[in-house]
Amino acid sequence: MNSSIAVPISPNAKLNDQEMLRQSVISLSGVKKAFTSPSGESIPVIEDITLDIKQEEFISIVGPSGCGKSTMFNIIASLLEPSDGSITLRGRDPACGARIGYMLQRDLLFPWRTIIDNVCLGLEIQGVAKAKRYAMAREQLARYGLADFADQYPSTLSGGMRQRVALIRTLITDPDLILLDEPFSALDYQTRLVLEEEIVSILKEHHKTVVLITHDIGEAIAMSDRVAVMTQRPTSVKKIYDVGLSRELGSCLKARSDTRYQRYFDSIWDDLDIQISGAEQ
Amino acid sequence: MSEAQFYTHTIRAGSIKENDEQRTRSSFITDNLWRVTGIGLVVVLWQIGVMTDWINPFLMGSPVGIAGEAWRLIQSGQLLNDTIATVYATVVGFLLGSILGSISGLLLWFSRTTARIIDPFMVALNGLPKIALAPMIIIWFGSGMLSKIALAFVATFVVALLSAYQGTHQIDRNLINLMRSMGASRREVFTKVVAPASLPWIISAFRLNIGFALIAEIGGEFISSDRGLGRMIFVAGNLFNLNVVWVGVITLMIVAIVLYVIVSQVEKRLLPWEQGQR
Repeated sequence: MNSSIAVPISPNAKLNDQEMLRQSVISLSGVKKAFTSPSGESIPVIEDITLDIKQEEFISIVGPSGCGKSTMFNIIASLLEPSDGSITLRGRDPACGARIGYMLQRDLLFPWRTIIDNVCLGLEIQGVAKAKRYAMAREQLARYGLADFADQYPSTLSGGMRQRVALIRTLITDPDLILLDEPFSALDYQTRLVLEEEIVSILKEHHKTVVLITHDIGEAIAMSDRVAVMTQRPTSVKKIYDVGLSRELGSCLKARSDTRYQRYFDSIWDDLDIQISGAEQ
Repeated sequence: MSEAQFYTHTIRAGSIKENDEQRTRSSFITDNLWRVTGIGLVVVLWQIGVMTDWINPFLMGSPVGIAGEAWRLIQSGQLLNDTIATVYATVVGFLLGSILGSISGLLLWFSRTTARIIDPFMVALNGLPKIALAPMIIIWFGSGMLSKIALAFVATFVVALLSAYQGTHQIDRNLINLMRSMGASRREVFTKVVAPASLPWIISAFRLNIGFALIAEIGGEFISSDRGLGRMIFVAGNLFNLNVVWVGVITLMIVAIVLYVIVSQVEKRLLPWEQGQR
């Protein structure tokens, strides 16, 4: 749509040693998860995940479908306890755990709340006074060109606009870690490219740490600093790529047209080892 | 797209909208014209039938007779008194039953165990024709208004409870997870997600309950009462005064329509986000 939202090129395009030493926001070590089937047998979903996610990093997790991505999401979002292993969360106040905000494929806007009340949801739960949270919400909505929609219900907005509102709702509570679970897969291709760009720039502007869970290899390469490739279920981390194309080139779209993009794509595709004729859903 | 094209485009869109409005307004008028014509035709044919001895007015009543009885009952104030009695008992029982039932159904969300334990009782009560309880309720509460209120209450409570409880089960798990991830307490999840998300279910139970409350109330009046439209119909029926029966039936229809319209208006107020989606 426009290029004015392009990300400024960071002076340290590649993650250097100093950056690697940055404090991690979340570390998973030896995380396992098994579910018990109705017949009583244990079904392992996550074999072993050990992953350290650093401050202000954008990391993607890609895996073959059905590999347990949503289980992973629920564990990172602390909606689910791992069967084994540990998760350490460190926020800006290292004593307390990091606060996690997330965004899913479906925007999960409450249909009975107006846009502004949807944006305010987290602040309301945190007990921020009404006048203050409305002022904050109006400022953010105006910033992303949604001011005119503040008093409308979500059903009147387009899919892309609703995802933008969902992002503002996530950002406004200022979480330490943002978890994105296939946030674009319900959108058409053009909207998806625009939102990719927009979200990466917004998140970098706010210095956010991001975990993107996706099955879209292209999306992962275009947006991320690192891409973790998962194996089939029971899943574990197969390989981690230091991509960083969007950070280096300043735009996801540029990342997609870079020569390295295709090489990463082919390599990750091979790692995923997807059998076209196999029993994929 | 050039500016000129854009301009014509907007004009066209505007005129389409206007056409739509005109169409709905004109169809509203013609629909009503057909309705009035239809009723008028039936009434006229009925009266002609009575006058030419094709229809026995003793068994069927006659339009002129009905109008005469209606006028007499309106003038004496009896129709108004009976209508007020019936509407009062129905509305009080309906509101108490529907509101308390909905609240109970919503609160069951807090305790799955309680819900599981009482489930078969609720299903049994729901299947039971509530009018079967009338003799007992009349013994307990007498033949006055109180027993009619109790009957309307019983008829609406279980429907409202089951519907609200079902509403709490249709809630998207992800909305609740989202609330939890934001640090919401169980009470906040209830007030901010469970209750508003169940509102459409509750309203639809209210709609159904108008009918159920009227059935129970009128049934109760049939069995034992000192006033009300049900009693008026029942007594006139026993006396083979079909014209008065008709007056009672028509008044009840009007009452039902008015109550239904009121609930629809309340729905529009309570569910503003669902307007324009249908």
